This record gives sequence, C-alpha cells and structure tokens, in this order.
Amino acid sequence: MLALDLFVNGLIIGLFYALMAVGLTMIFGILKIVNFAHGEFYMIGAYTYTLVSLALGVPPWLALPAAAISGALLGWATERWLMRPLYEGYGSWGLMKDEYAVVVTFGLSLLLINLVDKIVGPYPMRGPSLSEVTRMSIGPFMISGQKLITAIVAIVLLVALALFLKRSLWGRQVQAVAQNRLGASIAGIDTARASSIVFMASGVLAALAGALLAPVINPSPDVGIFPAVKSYVIVVIGGMGSIPGSIVAALLLGVLESFGAVYLSYDYRDTFGLVLLILVLLLRPQGLFGERVREV
Amino acid sequence: MALPVNRNFLRDKLAQELRLALVVLACLALLPLGISSPYWLGVLIVSMYFAMLSVGWNLLAGYTGQFSLAPAAFAMLGAYTTGLAAWHWQIPLAIGLPLAIVVPGLIGLVLGRIVLRLSGPYLALTTLAFAEIARLVIYNSIDFTRGDQGLNVPPLVESHVANYYLLLAALVAATLVVYAMLRAPIGRYLQAIRDDEIGAASRGIDVVRAKTIAFFVSCAICGFAGGLYGTFAQLVSPELGLIAQTGIVIAMVVIGGMGTLVGPLIGAVLVYVASEMLRDVGNIQMIVFALLVIVFARFFREGLWGLARDAVAGRRAATAAAAAAKEAR
Repeated sequence: MLALDLFVNGLIIGLFYALMAVGLTMIFGILKIVNFAHGEFYMIGAYTYTLVSLALGVPPWLALPAAAISGALLGWATERWLMRPLYEGYGSWGLMKDEYAVVVTFGLSLLLINLVDKIVGPYPMRGPSLSEVTRMSIGPFMISGQKLITAIVAIVLLVALALFLKRSLWGRQVQAVAQNRLGASIAGIDTARASSIVFMASGVLAALAGALLAPVINPSPDVGIFPAVKSYVIVVIGGMGSIPGSIVAALLLGVLESFGAVYLSYDYRDTFGLVLLILVLLLRPQGLFGERVREV
Repeated sequence: MALPVNRNFLRDKLAQELRLALVVLACLALLPLGISSPYWLGVLIVSMYFAMLSVGWNLLAGYTGQFSLAPAAFAMLGAYTTGLAAWHWQIPLAIGLPLAIVVPGLIGLVLGRIVLRLSGPYLALTTLAFAEIARLVIYNSIDFTRGDQGLNVPPLVESHVANYYLLLAALVAATLVVYAMLRAPIGRYLQAIRDDEIGAASRGIDVVRAKTIAFFVSCAICGFAGGLYGTFAQLVSPELGLIAQTGIVIAMVVIGGMGTLVGPLIGAVLVYVASEMLRDVGNIQMIVFALLVIVFARFFREGLWGLARDAVAGRRAATAAAAAAKEAR
C-alpha cells in the first residue's frame, strides 16, 4: 500500500507544481520571456489569503477569492508597467529583449520579497487551513482534508484554463498571439489584451497555489523561491511554452520526488528535479512536448 | 558612398574604459591611507568581493548576453573548495586558493557545455535551479560540510589592510583578465553573439565554444572571489550562495553599467557602501536597489557610467556647437 500512497501523494504535489508551471509556460509562450518573479506571485497569494482570513476574521474559504484577485492584479500591473516595452514598437527591442526581461523580472522579485519583508515582517505566519480533517480514507488510501481540497481545486482550475484557452474567443486569441504575434495583430487581435490576460491568469494560478498551500508552508517573504525553482525545472522538462508538457512534467516530478524521498534520500529529494533537468537537456533539449528549439 | 570606418573603434573604446577602470582601482588603492576604521575597511573589502563577482557576471551578461543567475553560488562553491580542502585534508591555502579557481571553473565548464548548446533562457533557468539546489546540498550534507554551522577557514593574511590589498590585487587581476579577453578575437566573438547569435554563427563563429569559454572564465572569477572572501571572513557558510546575494550582484552591474569595464567596479563600491548607510535608515537598502534595477534596466541601459559619459559627451557637443556658432557669426 505504501507505493499507492506515495503515488497519490506525488500526483497531488504534481498538481500543485502544475498550477505554478502552467502560468510560467503560458507567459513564455506569448512573450518568449521567463518571468523570474513567478515565485513572488505565489508568495503574495499565500500572504493575501493568510492576512485576509486572519485580519478580517472571515472563513478561509472567502479568503481564496481575495488571493486570486491579488494574483490577477499583480499579473496585470506587471504586464502593464514592466512588460509592455517588450513589444510596443515591435521588433526594435529584439536585441536586448532577454536582458531586459531577466533583469526586470529578477528586480521585481527582489522588490516584492523585500517589500513584504519590510511591511509584514520576516517571520513565518501560520496559514489557516481549509479543513480540519487530518486523515480520511478514500477507497484504499489515506489523505488529509487540506490535500484533497488542494487537489480538487487544482484540477478544476486546470480544466477551466484548458476550456478557456480552447473554447473562448479570448482564449483562442491568446493562442493566436502565442503562435505569431505579428500575424495575430494583423488579423485584428488586440495583442496587448492577450498578454494582459495571460499575465493575469498566470498570477491567479500562482496566487491560488500559494493560498492553498499556506497552511502547510507557513508564508514567509522568501517562500516563493523554491516552488519557482521547481516550476523553472518543469517548464524546461515539459518543453518551453507547452501547456500539456508542463502538466505532464509537473506530475512526473511530483511522483518522482515522492518515491525518491522514501526510496533514495529524503534530504536530497529536491535534487532529483535538477538531475532530470540535466538529463532532458542532454538527451532531448526541446523537452518532452516541446517543438525543436534552435540549436546554434 | 563609402562610409568612413574606424576599424579600431571597439579597441579605442575599450582602451579608454580600461584607463578609467585603472583610475577607479587606483583611487581604491589610496583609500586605506585616509580610512583607519576597521569597520569601514571591512565594508570596502566586502564591496571588493562583490566587485569581483560583478566583473565576472558582467563578462557573461554584459558582453555575451548570457544570463547566469548563479554568480553567488559559484562564489560559494569556491569558498567551500578552499574551506573543505583545509578542513578535511589540511591542504594549505597556497594550493587551496588556486583550487577555488579550478573547481568552480570546471563545474561551470560542464554545466555550460550542456546548457549553452541552446540559445534562449535556458542558462538563466538552469543556473537558478543549480544555485538553489547546490546551496541545499551543502546545507544538508552535514557530515561533510557541517551544514549551516559553516566551516572555519584559516586566514591568508591577518590585518584588515593586508586583506584589503589582497582583494584589490585580485580585483585588478580579474579586470585585466576580462580586458585581455575583450581585446582578443574572442572578445569580439562574444559581443557579436550578444548582438545577434544567429548572425554570429552564420559568420563562422563557433558560438557554443565562445559562450562556454565566457561562462568558464566567469565562474572561475566568481569562485576565486569566494575563496578569498572565505579566508578574509575565516568562515564559509551556505548563506554565501543565497539568491539574494546574486540579486545584489545584478543590482551592482545594472546600476553601475552593464557591458562596460568601469560600470561593475563603481556599481559594486557605490551600492555596497550605500547599502551600509541605508541599513541605518531602516533596512530599506534592498527595496531601493530593486527599484533602481528596474528603473535602470528600463531607461538607462548603460547605468551610471553611461549617464556620466553621456553628460560629458553632451557638454563637449554643446561647447563645440557654441564654438561653431561663434565662428559662423
């Protein structure tokens, strides 16, 4: 039974990784840049959830939408004020695009960490949990209430995102811009709005991931660094810009870590992702689901 | 119409920057004559450690357009190379310190060889993951590294003044290495790769090899800086490799001026000294620097150095225009 328990736990961790990684890979898909402040979206979500439910005394369930709104606002503001220069004047920024994106998003990450550190304080907070049930059995395996809720919300969010991208007009516009920004804008698609949508969706997913995990992680200003590192590993493994790829890679990494922590080494469980990353870069650099990347 | 081409333009620009960099370094060499407070000497020593990391990172980011997010992690690896060699095997610093150049350099070589085949954001992503996980491994390998207790390292020289000149000498050496690379053909290859990677490859430049060499040199400089810092602090700990430390390095280079020889030097000293002063105001230094990074990256790509140069050039142009106007009248 241990193996089944490990597998299910790994999948749940994988679903949480997927929430983080999907937003990151969508941003890469549409702007061809990596958002190095992604972990801070997660951190802000965790803090908003915790502070809203503790300060206002509302039930934690009502704090979840607040976290989602904070993520959406942060995503919108990042896109509006920091990412616009990447594509306003299309083409003229081509040369220094990578430099600008890395430096600015990394600067934003530092800024948010230190602002929260200054305003809220450096000490970890205790996040309220959504469910007091610590162990319940579903069929053959045991699971905590909080984990079950996390898994269900994560699945609902991922399915909703897939439906949004495949079926809605805005979602299809986002896909078009990811395929060819210039072509999409010639066809009359508002590319700026598509980028905004992607950043807001990415912010919502990361903030909700933080909120759902707040009772487990106990938010502190630098809590976002590690989940972000994991999602960077995942988007490369899955193939940069590929949403199905990042979901598969996230689940794979979750299960791998869950088994590895028990059968290989608990202390070094976080290194498995890096090993997998190096193997993928050596053997299949375009990632599991990616299109062939340009090799020079 | 044939445009007049100044074939030595890059070299002239570089020589001018080297002269200014040497002036800055000479000013640093004179500082201990006026400063006797051990506290401020310590601050300056640490700022020179950061200046070395900045010089190493700038070679990669400013001149090659490749973004490593692990300069602090490679400094940590260098510090631990020296520290572990002395702790476990009593290897003297005369061998331990060169090892701090070789070992991080080789790790960088292997990592770079794997990642730099790809263009795009792969280096930044992989080095960030590598940095966090390397720190975690050192933190968790308590039997070998003593975890977060850190390792005691024997000092190379005792007094603050001696340490000051030791780090200054290393900083001068690092600056000269970068200058020599930029003057050699490889320096032009690197800048060509930064400006247009595909174009550079199409002109027959072995892009992967050039990028890997730059990454190797950058990691070696960072490793050596870490090794020296360890002998000054007489303690190495996993804290050296924190992402926030990399953030400080990036802030220094971006504020000082990316892709210039002088920028990282003035950026490192100004940022670190300013951060010591802001600490007293209420620990707002990182907020200020993060904001400055965003503003400089957005509006002033060449940092303070670029602003200063443009101001001088602007004044010269204005005097020239005034002179011309007078002549015309």
